[in-house]
Amino acid sequence: MTIHDLRTRHGDASDGSADQVGGRLSRVDGPAKITGAAKYAVEQQLEGLAHAVLVESTVPAGKVRAIDTAAAEGAPGVLLVLTPDTIPPLKTASDWFGTPPPDVPYCPLARDIAFSGQHVAAVVAESFEQAVAAAALVKVSYDEAPAVADLSDPKAGDGIAIDMMTKEWGEAEAAFAAAPVRICAAYNTPREYQAPMEPHGLIAAWQGDRLTVWEPSQWLDGMARTYAEWFAIPFENVRLVSPYIGGGFGSKALALSHGAVAASAAKMLGRPVRLVMSRPQTFTGYGGRAATRQTVTLGADRDGKIQSIVHRGVNETSMGGMWVEPLGSVTSVMYATPNFSSKQNVVRVNSVVPGAMRAPGENPSAFGIESAIDELAYEVGIDPLEIRLRNYAEQDPHARKAWSTRQLREAFVAGAEAFGWARRSPAPRSMRDGNQLIGWGVAAGTYPVRRAYGEALVRILADGTVEVESSSIDMGQGTYTILAQTAAETLGVPADNVVVKLGDSRFARAGVTGGSRLAGIMTGAVHKAAGAALDHLVGLAISDPRSPFHALQANTLVVAGGRVSSPRGDGPEVSIAELLASVGADQIEAKGDTMPANSTAEDRYKAYTTIATPLTHTDGDYSRHSWCAHFIEVRVDEDFGTVRVSRVVSALDSGRLYNPKLAESQWKGGIIMGIGQALLEEGIVDRRHGRIVNNNLADYLVPTNADIPDIQTISVGIPDPHSSALGGKGVGELAIVGVAPAIANAVFHATGKRVRDLPITLEKLI
Amino acid sequence: MTSPTTIPIHLTINGHDHSLEVEPRVTLLDALRDRLDLTGTKKGCDQGQCGACTVHVDGERVLACLTLAAQVEGRSITTIEGLAEADGTLHAVQAAFLEQDAFQCGYCTPGQIMSAVACIREGHAGSDDEIREYMAGNLCRCGAYPHIVAAVRQAALEVQS
Repeated sequence: MTIHDLRTRHGDASDGSADQVGGRLSRVDGPAKITGAAKYAVEQQLEGLAHAVLVESTVPAGKVRAIDTAAAEGAPGVLLVLTPDTIPPLKTASDWFGTPPPDVPYCPLARDIAFSGQHVAAVVAESFEQAVAAAALVKVSYDEAPAVADLSDPKAGDGIAIDMMTKEWGEAEAAFAAAPVRICAAYNTPREYQAPMEPHGLIAAWQGDRLTVWEPSQWLDGMARTYAEWFAIPFENVRLVSPYIGGGFGSKALALSHGAVAASAAKMLGRPVRLVMSRPQTFTGYGGRAATRQTVTLGADRDGKIQSIVHRGVNETSMGGMWVEPLGSVTSVMYATPNFSSKQNVVRVNSVVPGAMRAPGENPSAFGIESAIDELAYEVGIDPLEIRLRNYAEQDPHARKAWSTRQLREAFVAGAEAFGWARRSPAPRSMRDGNQLIGWGVAAGTYPVRRAYGEALVRILADGTVEVESSSIDMGQGTYTILAQTAAETLGVPADNVVVKLGDSRFARAGVTGGSRLAGIMTGAVHKAAGAALDHLVGLAISDPRSPFHALQANTLVVAGGRVSSPRGDGPEVSIAELLASVGADQIEAKGDTMPANSTAEDRYKAYTTIATPLTHTDGDYSRHSWCAHFIEVRVDEDFGTVRVSRVVSALDSGRLYNPKLAESQWKGGIIMGIGQALLEEGIVDRRHGRIVNNNLADYLVPTNADIPDIQTISVGIPDPHSSALGGKGVGELAIVGVAPAIANAVFHATGKRVRDLPITLEKLI
Repeated sequence: MTSPTTIPIHLTINGHDHSLEVEPRVTLLDALRDRLDLTGTKKGCDQGQCGACTVHVDGERVLACLTLAAQVEGRSITTIEGLAEADGTLHAVQAAFLEQDAFQCGYCTPGQIMSAVACIREGHAGSDDEIREYMAGNLCRCGAYPHIVAAVRQAALEVQS
């Protein structure tokens, strides 16, 4: 059920514009979420549901020698034990670029082990408890092989050069050698985990050769394609349903092997099967953010003007898969420099293939460059804010194109003013409150405007209510709400009269929800579809002989507050429902999409089921990015080295905000995840067993309420017509970028100690 | 479904009596979600670390994933589904969560709200710092914490007035 049938009064009662794009309408899916009525994917209650539990490898490398399933098969309630030998082979699916796959079988349970925690077997039973108990009875023996535990493993080596990541202009090495001021340092970030509160899982059910999958998903159409290819059934035979998603942060965009296991089990049993990862399994069932290493070298004049940036980066990937975390992404656009060189390697380790986590690339990239420029500021004795303004990039230094909009200078000014930056005492260790050393740090962030295509269907029903349908999703960003506002504004109806339906692959198509692209794409698609529906409605009203407006001979009509009238003020005023009744129309339906007009069906399929056809952010005359500046105060206990973030002011340029209330929430969420990254989060690898030892929410520390101060966000954006139809840029990924370096810079200001390895834990300060 | 390994239990949830035949190892959380279609109570970690499964037992906040269903027989259980009035009028905490936008994905939200109701009842909503401390057992990965604090502060004032 995707309809939020609990109607309440939304928004500020005094704010008549809440229904419009840009208004502070409260979440339309909110009432369902605060009453427990919102059914998440795996909460569907299906007749005959069976329960699957995964068994994982306990070694990081080698081969499965044997799997003894006898005890599990004899356990109460067990229906099926799946191993690499008993699960039917599937077809290999194409990757997310749509690259045709090799014609080899795909087995979602592994014989060859490439990381600890790999799925090797699964048990399906009548109840969850029976499946858990029986899974513990599966005995797996291995021929273990040597493993590369992590990036610091002496066996890891230098890795593979990724030539497409190389960016160079000028003579970076020579200019660095000639520069009067030189800074060179290494910055490291550990494995980090998305850790959405809702664990990954699904229910799979077959009806003949048609598969329905209820699964939290950031990309229904892409995941449906993968399931279809695995099981060699038509794309149209797969239905993905994902009305609410309990957080994703990049981790729920792809169909993964556990999904193949559940769907295989459901097919074999002829029953719906539910499989949900345990919390520890979520640390190895899919990839978090790759561990990274960067060296940032800055050559500058004595007045702090950068002459050269030389940047080298490394990220880990898995033995069999390839993940490139683009470490030079912020390095190459943030500051003006005549000479630049960035190169990147990836190193194979025995880990699950890393994946996307909030601002992949930009996030660790900013930790490097935004720490390094802070080091340069102290080296030349210039305020850290001033040095950023001195090196301000007036155009994209890499693409050599004008910025579409860049309100970063405004962000620095507004943030500094609200924070009180002018009162900062420049020297490290010069501000304190009793036993607490106080530090103030600043850092900037950016994220490119990723653009792609989307479709929406808008339907005006006989009673005047409006339905919007799209296979895009809402994992908390506010899609339901901003699409209701877009339809309401375009059609001239109250937002309360709009029902938005998302999260079903049978609806009008959408590509991946990631890279902060969804809002810009989908508001554009809904605006277009709603505009077409309005044209149809007005056309009927003017031309249909049964219409009360027919005699007016008007060229157009006005729809406002759900009522239709003549702009000249003559003639009748009727509700949409009355108008539809008068002309005998049951409903009006219009589809809108943002694809080029001559697109073929094949183009559309590719656009929505792969990431192969995005519009680049430097397409045409402009370079399009969102921007932000974070001002952060930390308090460091001088004796114990404990760091607390006590104040955050962030000024952000996300272009036009479709709903400031919800955008502020997303920004704060990004900032809070950045505080976790700076101070708490680190996947710890046991070198002996190549295993993540803190694979749970008590040992992998995410921020709690008690870790987070009040946070002030300031919008400095202006509508950006080059970035999206309605003028917005990106919101969700942006705000985490730059938080960790702002905190590291504040810690240096407080203590005089430069921490270049995240997280900044107390042993690094005492 | 009866078997030698199941036991009959009687639970009072949101004022309604329920009879179940379950294995003794079934948690209150799985009983609610898998046997009674009360899926508002969420499973985030199943090991007492995240707070998403917070419910009230005799008015006190309890983690349903660390509580066996059989342990709470005869006691009064309240879940998120039982918090609003019978006519749909929201509890002050629910209304404040909506107004303050104290959630995004919504998955931790029922647990946050149940914790917040108890936090106020315990007298632990006296200041923002106290709210932060007594709400620290409920993780929110979307990062709604400042808005959760604002919502609890607002609801505490309404409940007390």
